Parts: sequence; structure tokens; C-alpha cells
Amino acid sequence: MIFKIFKKELKDSLRDRRTLMSMLVIPIILFPIIINLIMFITKELSDEVANKELKIGMVGDPNNKIFKELQALPDEMGKKKIVFFKDTLTMIEAVKNDSIQLATFVPKNIETTLDSLKTVPLIVYHNGADVGMMERAEVYMNTIDQKTKSERLAKLNIDETKITPFFTTYRNVASDKEMFGKLAGGMLPYIFIIFGFIGCMYPAIDLFTGEKERGTIETLLTTPVSRLQILFGKMGVVVLSGITASTCSLLGLFLSLQTLDFGPNIEIMEIANSILSFQFIILLYALLIPLTIFFAGILIPICIYAKSFKEAQSIIAPLNILIILPAMVALTPGVELTLITACIPIVNIALATKDLIAGTLDYGLVAISFCVMVVFALIAVMISYQRFGKENSVIN
Amino acid sequence: MIKVENLYKEFELSKQQRKELATEEKIAVAVKSISFECKPGKVFSLLGPNGAGKTTTLRMISTIFAPTKGNITIDGIDAVKEPQEARKKIGFLTGSTGLYFRLTPNELIDYFAGLYNVSKVDLEKRKAHLYDLLNMHDFQNKRIGKLSTGMKQKVSICRTMIHNPEVVVFDEPTSGLDVITAENIIKLIKDCKEQGKTVIFSSHIMSEVDLLCDDMAIIHKGQLLYNDSMENFRKSMKAENLTAEFIRIVNESNNIS
Repeated sequence: MIFKIFKKELKDSLRDRRTLMSMLVIPIILFPIIINLIMFITKELSDEVANKELKIGMVGDPNNKIFKELQALPDEMGKKKIVFFKDTLTMIEAVKNDSIQLATFVPKNIETTLDSLKTVPLIVYHNGADVGMMERAEVYMNTIDQKTKSERLAKLNIDETKITPFFTTYRNVASDKEMFGKLAGGMLPYIFIIFGFIGCMYPAIDLFTGEKERGTIETLLTTPVSRLQILFGKMGVVVLSGITASTCSLLGLFLSLQTLDFGPNIEIMEIANSILSFQFIILLYALLIPLTIFFAGILIPICIYAKSFKEAQSIIAPLNILIILPAMVALTPGVELTLITACIPIVNIALATKDLIAGTLDYGLVAISFCVMVVFALIAVMISYQRFGKENSVIN
Repeated sequence: MIKVENLYKEFELSKQQRKELATEEKIAVAVKSISFECKPGKVFSLLGPNGAGKTTTLRMISTIFAPTKGNITIDGIDAVKEPQEARKKIGFLTGSTGLYFRLTPNELIDYFAGLYNVSKVDLEKRKAHLYDLLNMHDFQNKRIGKLSTGMKQKVSICRTMIHNPEVVVFDEPTSGLDVITAENIIKLIKDCKEQGKTVIFSSHIMSEVDLLCDDMAIIHKGQLLYNDSMENFRKSMKAENLTAEFIRIVNESNNIS
């Protein structure tokens, strides 16, 4: 009987445009759109910065050392044009109104100071709102500084290694998969938690509040089917919809990674492919199913209580934030799956998935997270059943 | 056969409801100790103004609501103790149709037949009979949401009768319907009577009651004001017509309380 109800509710839900949108369409297309858009904007911005001819203002002698060194820098380090100003104030004003991007005052006696092996104080003016300009100035100045330093050492007849006591190299022993898991892995549970919830939301409203609003629940309750069977049949569709939405969001993310050209970061795809093992998928769904049942269990009592579609939406909207907050914990660096976090619903699933992606899974803690989620899901189902048994709640 | 004994129903009022009803009472009594009997092959009408307790009574008979006190027997089954067994005997129809608009009539009828565990052979036989009777063949595969009110009402009738119920409960079945559509319902009630089924329907339209019912009860503010045959009601009338007599009885009860 539960299956009969489930089958009918599924057919009914799949004919509802809102459910289809939240369950299939949005989760699949959202990530390809967002990722492509971000990649496009990032590429456009970096191309623009690289191709933009930088105007550097200068106050000083026409043929000073800095001018000559800057002119000698190759165009690969960014095109530039040096403009001379008569006074510093006009030059700073030009930086402010973006007619030039960088500016510096070069002291008159710069060559003498450098020859006497002294330090030349230089102030480089930049506009902080013009992102990336200070970094460009740093690259130029580091290059000139390094070159001048080498010239001085040669003049002093000093071997550079003698004044370099340590040559430190930092080597990362974590695997690429682990790095990906720890840095980007937090995003994945965040994504499927949000989409799992949204996927449950519309069918829950439609199958409970909608039936009440349309008056169809009354006829359903006169059939020789128990309320528990009706609840389970409907809940099955809500849970399936949530899982489908999560799956579609992951599928959308995977597809967008497949179709994108990452250039030098091509290993991202290899890491993503290595993560998606059979064991990973089984474990992910083992965590996802109780989580989605829990979502259905908290949404259904609200939908039973609400008298109209609008009322249900207005109650559920703030609940979205309550779901997002624990999901965001997984994005916070340093928060790990421990005995305490394994007992906090949603947080435990988010952190366990993060570890699952990184391959640093503690099976004991995952088992605790799973059990905690199952207990919370059962409590939520019991609350739903209790609410569905209330005459006043079920019928308007 | 429906037997109702000392039926009593109270609802707990929420804060919001208390505010809306401007009352301090935490409990609202919808039905106060009513008793009546509906016999097979006869049409019983439950009459009363809006808010009298008709729908609550019919919902208790249909086992949607459990009574606070009292007994309901449907074809010998205790509907309070065994609601699921009682439901097998009941067909329930309201004026608001209560249909799934995204399904087709065929899908809907198959679904409800499944819920009543109707065998495939019986389903096909009854479907053919009801589709012929209600002239439903042309729109059986169209989405219900796209059908006219009359067509929807026909689907609703078909859904109510697909498991061949012994007892048929109609809650204001013609409310909001035009005369042509209402005619389908009136014909259905007459057919049910001819087939020896027990029929109970609620209404506040006296002409409909006059046309169809054998026995009647008048309910007002949850209390039974009258319960006898239609014939005796006509005989004992003090007012000039049925509607005036109905109003007189209700007003008299208002004056007493």
C-alpha cells in the first residue's frame, strides 16, 4: 500500500513544474552556470590586467636609475609607460583619479646614494581600489632590488652564498587528493546539504500543505489506508526528491569540471576522478540518506501545520538559514570531525564528507555520525507521524 | 446501515483560533450528543445552517475524525474501534471534488481502486459501467486540471463508487455546482437508493431534501433539533412551506437557548 501511494505521489510530483525545477533542473544547471561564469570573469579580469598598459608616474631626473631599470623590464612582466610629473602632489592626484596607476618620487642623488652602498628610500603610490596594482609594483621593485643587490655583491666581491645561511624549500607531503579534500572538500557537503534540503522542500509543501489546501487529503483519509502508510508513501517521495536534487547538484558540479579547461590545473580533474570511487559513492549515500530523511522529518510537520502554500514557504524560508549555518562549519578551516562534532546533526555529515573526500576518514567517527543522524531522522519521522495523526492539523 | 449513538465531538482551540472566535474557552463543542439511524435503501438528509456541525458529523461517520464520545456503527462494524474496516464500506463525496489535478481520470480511478484493493477484473467492469453511465470516455485520459467543473464532478462520482460502497456519504455534494452538474449528483443519489445502499447527505437546500430524502434530521449548534421521516416532517409542518418550517425550527431553538 505504501508503494501504491509512493508511486502515485511520485507521478504527481514529477508533473509539478516547481518540484521538477528544484529537484532536477536547478541542481544540474546551477553549477555549470556558476563555475563557467566565475571562470569567464576571472579570465577576462586577468587578461585585462595582463594586457593593460600600466601608466607609471615619476618625479625625478629624466634618465634616473629606476626609470632605466623599469624600461629594461620585459613586456612579459606587463606593458608599462612612464610619465614624468613636475610635482608629487599632481602625480598623487593622477593616481587618485586613475589617469596613472602607480607613481614614485625618485630622489635626485639616487645614483650617488647607490654607489656609496646606502639605502634609497622609495615611496610607491597606488590606488588600493585598483586591485592588483600594488602586486605589480612589488614584482617590478623586487626584480630591480634583486638586480641591484647582485651588482653590489659583485662590486664588493662577495659570494652570494656566503650571506645566505639557509636555502629553505617547503615540500608538501599531503597528497593532492588530501589537499583538495581539505581546501575544496568543504564545498561538496555544503552543496549537497543545501540542495538536499531544497529538493525536499517543494514536494513536502505540495504533498502535505498542497493536499490540505486543495481538499484532496479528506478523500484520501476516507480510504482504508492507515495514516502511517500514507505518511510513509508521501515521505518516500520527499526523501527521493531530496536525494535526487543532491545527486543532480553533484552531477552538475562533475560535468562542469569535465567540460572546463583548467589549463595548468589539469590535475583537478584527475583528483576528482580518483575521489569518485565506488566506495566513496556508497559511503556518501550512507551519510546522505539519513540526512535527507531528517530533512523530510523536519519539513513535514511544518507542512502539515501550515494552512496554505504561502504560509508553509514563509515558515520554511528562515529554516534554510538554520540548515546553511551548520553546513558552513565544514568550510571553516580547522574544524574537524571529533567525538563532539560527530554528535551534532548536519555538522557531522558535512565534516565526515570532507574527510571522505580527503581520504582521511576515521570509520569509528563516521559510524557515530551515521548513528546520530539515524536517531535524529527517527525522531523527526516520529514527530511527523504524531503531527499527521492530529485531526486539526491534517484538515483545514 | 449507519447507526449513530450519543455522538459528541469537541475540538481544542489554539491561541489563534481563540483570538479569531473572540473566546476564552479552550474547547469548542462541535457536536453535542446526537443519535440517528440511516437505513439501507433509504436516503437520510442532515439539514442545518452553516456551522451547525453537519460536516463534523459526516467526517466522524467517514472516520476522518474520531468522536470524543459516542458510537458509530457502519454495516455492523464499530467505526470508532475499527475505522479501517469501516472505510471499506464507505464512499465519500464532497462538493469540492477533492481530485488530483495533475492526474488523468483513469490514473485517479486506478489509484483509488488500488487503495480499496479492488481486483483488476472488478475494476475494469465497474470502470466500464461508470464511464458509460457518466459519459466519461472522451476525457478519461485528459489531465483533471483541464476538465470543466461538470466533468470533474463526474470523475469524483466515479472515484466514490469504484469500490461499490454499501454506505455513501455526501457532504454538501451540490454546493457551488450549476443545475446541470448538480443533476448528476441527484441521479447518483437516486441510483444508490435503488441499489439498496445507505445514503446520508448534508444540505441546506430544502428543495433538494424534499426531492430526495426519506428520513431527515435538523442539526443546529451541534444539537439535534429534529429526527424523523420526511413524511412526518411534512405532516407536522406549522409554516407554509418546507424552507419556512426549517427556518422556524432553527429560530425556535435560538430563542430557547
